[in-house]
Amino acid sequence: MIPPLPQAPRALDMGPAPGVPTHALPLDAAAAASRAGRFDVVVVGAGHAGCEAAHAAARMGLSVALVTVQVGDTAKMSCNPAIGGVAKGHMVRELDALGGLMGRITDRAGIQFKVLNRGRGPAVWSPRAQCDKRAYSAAMLDVLAATPGLQFVAGTAERVRLDAAGRVAGLELSDGRVLESRAVVITPGTFLDGVMHIGEQRVAGGRIGEHAALALSRCLGALGLERGRLKTGTPPRLHRDSVETAACTEAPGDEPPRPFSHWTESLTLTQVLCWSTHTTAETHAVIRDNLSRSPLYSGDIRGVGPRYCPSLEDKVVKFPERLSHHLFLEPEGREVDEIYVNGVSTSMPADVQWAFLRTIPGLERCEMLRPGYAVEYDFVLPHQLDPTLQARRTPGLWLAGQICGTSGYEEAAAQGFVAGVNAARTVRGESPWVLRRDEAYIGVLVDDLVTREHREPYRMFTSAAEHRLLLRADNADERLAAAGHALGLITDAQRERVRARYADIAAEESRLARVQVRPVGEVARSGVTARDWLARPQSAYAALPALGVATALAEPEAEALEVRVKYHGYIERQRRTAAQATAAESLRLPVALWDTDLRGVSHEAAEKLRRWRPETLGQAGRIAGVSPADLAILAVLRARKI
Amino acid sequence: MSLPAFDDTIAAIATAPGDSGLAVVRVSGAGALACAARVFEGAPLESALSHTLHHGWARGPAEGAPRLDEVVAAVFRAPRSYTREDVVEFSCHGGRLPARRLLAALLGAGARLATPGEFTLRAFLRGRLDLAQAEAVADLIHAETERAADLALAQLSGALSKELHAITERVRDALAETEARVDFAEDVGGVEVPPHVREAIASAAAQLEAMLAGSAFARAVREGVHVPLVGRPNAGKSSLFNALLGEARAIVTDVPGTTRDRVSEPLELAGVRVTLSDTAGVREAADAIEAEGVERALASLASAACVLWVVDASRALTSEDHALAARFGAARVLVALNQSDRPGVTRASEVEALLPTALTCVPVSAVTGAGVDALREALARQLGGPESASLAGAVANARHAEALTRAAGALRRAGGAAQEGAPGEIVALELREALAAAGEVTGETLGEDLLERIFARFCIGK
Repeated sequence: MIPPLPQAPRALDMGPAPGVPTHALPLDAAAAASRAGRFDVVVVGAGHAGCEAAHAAARMGLSVALVTVQVGDTAKMSCNPAIGGVAKGHMVRELDALGGLMGRITDRAGIQFKVLNRGRGPAVWSPRAQCDKRAYSAAMLDVLAATPGLQFVAGTAERVRLDAAGRVAGLELSDGRVLESRAVVITPGTFLDGVMHIGEQRVAGGRIGEHAALALSRCLGALGLERGRLKTGTPPRLHRDSVETAACTEAPGDEPPRPFSHWTESLTLTQVLCWSTHTTAETHAVIRDNLSRSPLYSGDIRGVGPRYCPSLEDKVVKFPERLSHHLFLEPEGREVDEIYVNGVSTSMPADVQWAFLRTIPGLERCEMLRPGYAVEYDFVLPHQLDPTLQARRTPGLWLAGQICGTSGYEEAAAQGFVAGVNAARTVRGESPWVLRRDEAYIGVLVDDLVTREHREPYRMFTSAAEHRLLLRADNADERLAAAGHALGLITDAQRERVRARYADIAAEESRLARVQVRPVGEVARSGVTARDWLARPQSAYAALPALGVATALAEPEAEALEVRVKYHGYIERQRRTAAQATAAESLRLPVALWDTDLRGVSHEAAEKLRRWRPETLGQAGRIAGVSPADLAILAVLRARKI
Repeated sequence: MSLPAFDDTIAAIATAPGDSGLAVVRVSGAGALACAARVFEGAPLESALSHTLHHGWARGPAEGAPRLDEVVAAVFRAPRSYTREDVVEFSCHGGRLPARRLLAALLGAGARLATPGEFTLRAFLRGRLDLAQAEAVADLIHAETERAADLALAQLSGALSKELHAITERVRDALAETEARVDFAEDVGGVEVPPHVREAIASAAAQLEAMLAGSAFARAVREGVHVPLVGRPNAGKSSLFNALLGEARAIVTDVPGTTRDRVSEPLELAGVRVTLSDTAGVREAADAIEAEGVERALASLASAACVLWVVDASRALTSEDHALAARFGAARVLVALNQSDRPGVTRASEVEALLPTALTCVPVSAVTGAGVDALREALARQLGGPESASLAGAVANARHAEALTRAAGALRRAGGAAQEGAPGEIVALELREALAAAGEVTGETLGEDLLERIFARFCIGK
């Protein structure tokens, strides 16, 4: 059962009811003034980043304003109706262990649950869930509305207000209201000067039917933040009744479904089906014949799109040897008519989309509810941020999500959490909170953002984590629940539960190390302990009773035990390299270093170092163009204690 | 890390102390030209073009200081210099004093005395040399045979780094492909590590192992080897020792047990500096001093690249020979069947039967000199050196060999894991480890204190 989320009845300024357009409300000056106020933290944008930021800061006991144009669009799944996947699912588990929301909301809104890559190594077992996108928004809204200290403010952010010292003093809204605060977290998604492309059509906006945030983008420019342009795309949506599912392959969820959240005991739901199908030679021909009408190929789009989530026209052009591409048909909810066509991100004109879709098995009679489109938007080059995602030159201003150059709900949520927690800690006068690369994918994400050069939207991959065997989805709570507890976002009971869970696993491992088994087909003299037997690649915990050994653990714990035992040697080795790497991370580089002439450091490296201003020797080493020799010199400079 | 400062101006005498025609004093750093100009009476060095020579007088930096020597100043401007900094090299008269007085003047003019190897360290830090090349500079200075010098020169010109780079690039490709399959398992499907990647891993491992196989000889060339002479008392070890060296060195008598202490002498075989040590005869010792000599001889066997075992062929093998054979362990053994001018009693096959491993027997007479040349050749072969083999790209340095052995081991484990169908992330872990280990050779991966340890081997002025 999913534990009920707290539903404290509270008088909140919820803004207009969901679905009522904000701009239709009369805005008289008195009402505006009454809605302004002072907050410890102001969060701009109620997407996946903003929700985590606002929730974390409020749960840490602060007063938080969550500014959004349409409260009803809270945590909207603008693109695919799914959470998780390889490396992304890991981050959701980490967020969950730290006290974040995404995992719990997914358990409430999920309609199909699956652990990907079950046949492969444990580092890539990744939870993923199809969600009912309306239920997702509603569940998030429920939780946020019931979070003490969190207040929705309906409006459009216009400008960040600074004090005389250049520190953040508040946020001005387009209707003249001012929210005073020393900490502002900006999470505008694709809305910063967003431009949508559907074939030859260009429309200003961050999402279909929604206005772009032009003033905010200009304001960030005025603050001296260097910006770039990125592009992302979303596929067409089809009417459910127009799809011939019988011609497709069924893609069911896992039974029983495994919950995303550590705090959800079990899930009871009837899972929906997804389907897979594929493009044909005819599809590719239609695309090739119409390339001149694609804004990607006619030069209308200047922003750089993600290499790993390419548009279908990109796939056809760049992989001419592949005659067919897989695609998945995913319902956007239980009660909705929309089917999301996963794998067909495109910005072709609607008539071309319609034409090529109808060449796909199962889609011969499909009707589009909404064509796919590409959106171009501004982002802030993230080297200008510190490892808490605060703008280095504007204390009190945090950025999170697509504005930092990432792609994906999970990446956004993780950053939102980091920004929200750090905004709260800064307001409370506490030290920055940063996760290491060997602690969490979230640590890898933020570190990669602030130390590397990005030319395309950043999406998380397991290969980004050099200590990947330590950062598994199965042990996220073991890694991070204590940190979440220290932040005040995990309760004593939750932490105790995690402690007990791993104590049980450890106890079971030592018990198995004392029990002798005789594997089937092996000679009697081979005395092997149950633990050593389990360490063999083909052994399974569930097969122990057949060898006469009772089992004590339920499924997720049994799996965690198997991973520990089977990969023990590798995990230990990775732990050692992680410890060595941590030593380099502990060598801090003084900020004053970057104002010196860095004599001896190569010209290229010096330029990069001044731009990125790494905080540790380890970070400096990850900046492209900084050689080990440059590091040796930095180590000497550092030792001089400038 | 406690490396010296790298942004000041350093100076040192670059030539060996003692009587010589000329000596060179070198100064390097951003202030090198200014510093040199202050002690130079002649053309204005600060405005001198790069790669120009200037005749003049050295004098103290103080106003009106007297002349110290007649010198030639060679000016090298950054980055076209040994260190990639501004460098001035003064050629002054040899002997003890001229160079020392000139150095003192330079230190008075603001330079700091360079630490050992600091000029080369700067060349490394400025990216002119990689670590393996920088180490070759020290090897070249320390080389004692022509072959050792050739070997160091090949490494200095980047032969090793180049060969290694070609291998690591293939490993990097294999890693990239393995990683892609981990992250895009859904898209690519099928096997974790495809056959062509497994082959690339295996061939990279084989290449590293081939480099390492030549490493024993290359290390012998670079470092020289120690070959102990062992055998029963009075088997003729000392006579053979002298015959190999070509002159009388060790005391030779007919009284068993005369040689008590080891006597070591170097000779050059196949370009290798071989240090032969004549050891006390191995037998039940008569007194404590001799027992000590025997024990030392036996202890030296473990660390030897090769053992030269002298067997008196005119007498039968005894229990002492059996006892000795048991102490050889894994050492390679070359047998000199001595006194072949007298009637043979012990045959090669009997000696061979004493050891589990293959060994080479060479009949020899220390008295007439018969077979000594053959023994020398056999010894050269034992050291692993084909006379004509190229040493370009050879792994001559123990640090390099150790790092590459780790790299090859990681590659073999990666290949094995891939073969067994282990998850891609496990294969990737081993590949990353291999790259990190290989990177230690050229300095792409810098372990803690690595630079200090390496540059401590240098002499001052280099």
